[in-house]
Amino acid sequence: MDPVVQSESLTKRYGSLLAVDNLSFTLAPGTITGFLGPNGAGKTTTLRMLLGLAKPTSGNAVIFGRHYSELDNPPMRVGAVLEATDFHPGRSARDHLLTLSRAVGISDSRVDEVLELVELKDASKRRVKGYSLGMRQRLGLAAALLGDPDLLILDEPANGLDPEGVRWLRDFMRSFAARGRTVLVSSHVLAEVAQTVDQVLIIGHGRLIAKSSLAELTARVGGSVRVRSPKLSELAQALHKEGIETTATNDHALLAQGITSERVGDIAFASGIPLHELASEGSSLEEVFLELTSEPEK
Amino acid sequence: MISQIRAELLKIRSTRTTLGLLLGLIGLVLLFSLLTGLLSSAALLSVKENQLTLVGDGTIAGVFSALAGIMLVTSEYRFGTIRPTFLFNPNRDRVFGSKIVAGAIAGFLFGVVGEGLVLLVGTIILSARSIPFALSGGDLALLLVGTLIGSALWGVIGVGLGAIIPNQVGAVIILLAWGFVAENIIFGLLPSVGRYMPVHAQNAMIGLASAHLLGAGPGAAVLVAWTVVLGAAGLFLLRRRDVS
Ligand SMILES: Nc1ncnc2c1ncn2[C@@H]1O[C@H](COP(=O)(O)OP(=O)(O)O)[C@@H](O)[C@H]1O
Ligand SMILES: [Mg+2]
Repeated sequence: MDPVVQSESLTKRYGSLLAVDNLSFTLAPGTITGFLGPNGAGKTTTLRMLLGLAKPTSGNAVIFGRHYSELDNPPMRVGAVLEATDFHPGRSARDHLLTLSRAVGISDSRVDEVLELVELKDASKRRVKGYSLGMRQRLGLAAALLGDPDLLILDEPANGLDPEGVRWLRDFMRSFAARGRTVLVSSHVLAEVAQTVDQVLIIGHGRLIAKSSLAELTARVGGSVRVRSPKLSELAQALHKEGIETTATNDHALLAQGITSERVGDIAFASGIPLHELASEGSSLEEVFLELTSEPEK
Repeated sequence: MISQIRAELLKIRSTRTTLGLLLGLIGLVLLFSLLTGLLSSAALLSVKENQLTLVGDGTIAGVFSALAGIMLVTSEYRFGTIRPTFLFNPNRDRVFGSKIVAGAIAGFLFGVVGEGLVLLVGTIILSARSIPFALSGGDLALLLVGTLIGSALWGVIGVGLGAIIPNQVGAVIILLAWGFVAENIIFGLLPSVGRYMPVHAQNAMIGLASAHLLGAGPGAAVLVAWTVVLGAAGLFLLRRRDVS
């Protein structure tokens, strides 16, 4: 299948700073991709270039095979939210959406539909000034959804959201992608998206550091899992059978390398071995992420 | 393009900014016309030229039209709505063109309000003071055309200026400093140059016959030229500039 997004050697230079450096990647339809990297890595700049807001210094980015600005009716193909606060504070939510929908001939009834969808119907005639951050975030999503797009691009959507808001967002992205549509969501915190995404694109200093499925990334977790059990040697054997290395500790525990605690627990359970302690030690998924993205400059 | 123009008109209507500008216009027009109309002597006000100055205060609408045009562009940058605007319509020429049209329409309507009010107040004052109306139908026609078309052009100038200087405060300050200070200094020192400046071209356009001003026709041509130059510069920059 043709990629939904294709970036070829995308590069953006601001003066002496290479904000995005020769970035190539593709997104397959139906996937949720986490676009990860620390602050200043070049995520937003990349998304701006994808969406035709900024011109690449060199390289090329196409969505559904065309430059964003050459799509027949861009909001019908792509919905994007770059900032959570892109509203005139003195305009009502409904009027905000109407200024967008009417520009491209989307019906007023569709506006009411998306307001309902993001649970802003009751507040829609109020001026945005009085909205909470969560409500603004949902209004941004409502705008992106107006054209019922096939691709959703969200830049740091979880920023500043309370846990409930993050949960809402996660469910929202899942239900969006459940219908075979594609999501590209950026974040500087892996944990925010780890439960939602199928794959991750990790960038640092504008360059692609890793592109992998979440499972592969988990496998790269270099830490160890500490286990205690009355049947320690049997547990060691069971783990070895799965190709997992273990070391014994002075205090009668085992350290299993390169595996998650979930996996150790499952293997023990399958072998009928009781566990008295099970704890992750060393690097977590987040730490691997930090390690990957803190590679020395140039 | 028509849909984008509708969207731009909705942007103008859907915040209180426009209402504020309208109230400012009404207040200022009332102030000026009442001051001129009530404080000038009857002898002075009987003179045709001075009556024209009185009812010429409708050109104040131009300032507010330009402000409305500036808002139409700079509010989008200030509040970030430029991002969704360009995401929904990545054709920047069309977005800009629609803002030009919307700015012209808003400016025209501001002109109608300003000039309508000043004519109303002016004729009431003149008849209350039993001063005969000295302006001919031709004078009035020129006044109306000059104010309304001029005000529409100022709306466009505002859009152009906003695209050149997307910083809202910056654009407003430049407009006011230019219109109320710089241009008067230039005209005072070098009238042969100052007469080609936009505010003085606007004054010429309504038939004001004070010294050194251009004729109405050339005045109109000069204001149109300013509008085209500022609009073109705005479009040029809007096309090139990345949206951050
Ligand atoms: N308009 C701009 N002008 C100059 N430098 C910029 C501009 N936009 C971004 N940058 C710089 O480019 C780098 C990447 O920024 P950005 O894409 O915003 O990163 P991220 O979204 O991953 O945090 C940063 O160093 C930032 O300071
Ligand atoms: Mg960013």
